[in-house]
Amino acid sequence: MRISLFHGSGGKQTRKLIEEVFLKHFKQSGPLEDAAYLTVPSRQIAATTDSFVINPLFFPGGDIGKLSICGTVNDLVVSGAEPLYITAGFVIEEGFSIDNLNKIAQSMAEEAEKNRIKIVAGDTKVVERGKADGVYINTAGIGTVKRRFSVEDVHPGDAVIITGPIGEHGLCVLIEREQLEVESPVKSDCESLYPLISPLFEIPQVKWMRDPTRGGLATVCLELCEDTGLGMVLFEEKIPVREEVQFLCEMLGFDPLYLANEGRALIVASKEKADEVVELLRKHPSGKKAGVIGHITDEFRGVKLITEIKGERFLDYFEEDPLPRIC
Amino acid sequence: MTILKKTRFQEYADPSEIIRLINKLNTPSQSVRIMNVCGSHEHTICRNGIRSLLPKNIELIPGPGCPVCVTPEEDIINAVEISNRNGMVLATYGDMVRVPTQAGSIREKAKNLKIISSCHEALTTAKDKPVLFLSIGFETTAAPAASLFRMGPPSQFYFLSSHKLTKAAMKALCEDEEVGVDAFIAPGHVSTITGSREWEELSQNYGIPVVIAGFGAEDILSSIALILFMLKTHNPKTENVYKGVVKKEGNIRAQKLMKEVFDITDTRWRGLGTIENSGLELKDSLSPHNARSSFQWERIDDEDGLCRCKDVIMGKAYPHQCPLFKKACTPHTPKGACMVSREGACNIWFRFGRW
Repeated sequence: MRISLFHGSGGKQTRKLIEEVFLKHFKQSGPLEDAAYLTVPSRQIAATTDSFVINPLFFPGGDIGKLSICGTVNDLVVSGAEPLYITAGFVIEEGFSIDNLNKIAQSMAEEAEKNRIKIVAGDTKVVERGKADGVYINTAGIGTVKRRFSVEDVHPGDAVIITGPIGEHGLCVLIEREQLEVESPVKSDCESLYPLISPLFEIPQVKWMRDPTRGGLATVCLELCEDTGLGMVLFEEKIPVREEVQFLCEMLGFDPLYLANEGRALIVASKEKADEVVELLRKHPSGKKAGVIGHITDEFRGVKLITEIKGERFLDYFEEDPLPRIC
Repeated sequence: MTILKKTRFQEYADPSEIIRLINKLNTPSQSVRIMNVCGSHEHTICRNGIRSLLPKNIELIPGPGCPVCVTPEEDIINAVEISNRNGMVLATYGDMVRVPTQAGSIREKAKNLKIISSCHEALTTAKDKPVLFLSIGFETTAAPAASLFRMGPPSQFYFLSSHKLTKAAMKALCEDEEVGVDAFIAPGHVSTITGSREWEELSQNYGIPVVIAGFGAEDILSSIALILFMLKTHNPKTENVYKGVVKKEGNIRAQKLMKEVFDITDTRWRGLGTIENSGLELKDSLSPHNARSSFQWERIDDEDGLCRCKDVIMGKAYPHQCPLFKKACTPHTPKGACMVSREGACNIWFRFGRW
């Protein structure tokens, strides 16, 4: 079965699609209202929105559905919030397989359940064949604020921590899209950061965090330096990169520092607390490779990379997007 | 000083040890300009921040190491004109189509374009349609291109050779006092074809050290140490630290094939001008396939405007000294040839640093 323009007409077919695909997986019932009534346990709310246009829709380690939940959850988590509710709008291309739509909705439901968040509102639109590429998803997420992070708390001497190996999502999508034949497939790191990160909300010396998605680790570091007017030293040998990722990047001419991640966080914590933070992260299976990769400095502005042979180079923004439609 | 031989370096491969050795061999008051003529070497240097590890008096200069960068505008514009006028498919490599010229790029101007990743695709295309193949590059691509003529190309296959010989450019740079090259790191890939003996003429005639290097940071560092040692002992030679891969005599079969198909000729290099005996042209016996001699050809001079690619290729300027670098000229909007290919010095500098 395939999606037709009737599925987006707002009539009977639309209702059928919503009931048989979305409501079924999202475990919602009752009359379809125009808005959801929500209860929030706090007056401090964090809100975020994101759109997902990834190509291909299915990739090792996830699909656009899982990605849409993780991406939204992670934006809330690195803002110090506990995710509660999420909405999902779908723009579907005429002719798209309903089986695939089911798979996407199912992985959204699974990921939402894992994170104990509810998908509370949705929307479905269908556009003519060729006017979209399969399916696009737009989400909005809200959560209660547990901690407020601010770049103003970032000071020289603070430690820079990464929660795991970098570059995997970007490289995985590239390999899938270009249909490259590689011996050991690279899996996307697409994952919710909530279980890994939430214990850190209790530590006041954890000052700031961000998930290095588009533009990769390098871009997030550059942005932090720009926002604080400070500098950062990164040690290449300390940045975890899986061997196969490093090898393929060198072969294909990509730099893992600039490749997207979908399940990693960059954290700034005070120097004294850094080891404790890393230890805490390493207790979780997703944080096994967490480590301190550098520090903040006021000796210069920008991001200086100390290479494996102890050479120095400054990182800069990539002007062009090396990999469009990565999330 | 056997420690400077590759065999020793393999045990001695700790970069910090080699840097200590470099500092020991260095004479701080003496400026040393070491040129590389291979985009992959420049890539290794930038990616690892090798320049930051060296004493200030040692300069590493990117030279004419990128085949896309040295192809003159004349060849590109004529390739487009000839193929458009005669209803041919213009076949060439991906990076070439983006090179800006005074008459636009191939991508903008060619009516029928085929981007290829191997020269054999150009020949396959010629089975159905008339093809003009703009074939560029140094010895590494010239050898496979020569092999096309052993396969009996159809009469509608036209070949435009823009092939260049690396050593000829290096000789021209040795003779240019403004450039002032004190030593070369010779290209590892090209040397697999030419053999290490190719460069001996340079060390003998111009009295400058030449070291053939592989592509790891340690390879570059040990080449620098070896160069400093040769300069200190006033004993310039051609040394090979890429021994497992590069042989003294090179790839004899490839050399034979090139001799069978090409004559050595004077040719123009973007940036360097015409250099004697620096190019490869199809032999007269293959002239029915030679696009340059079979069609009307227009003589065109390179026009660089504000772009300093010419100086970058010659080793007279670093990429960041160009007024367009990272401003009007980026890999996305290249104004000069050196920003187009990932082997071009400007492109590499763009990707690996804030300057």
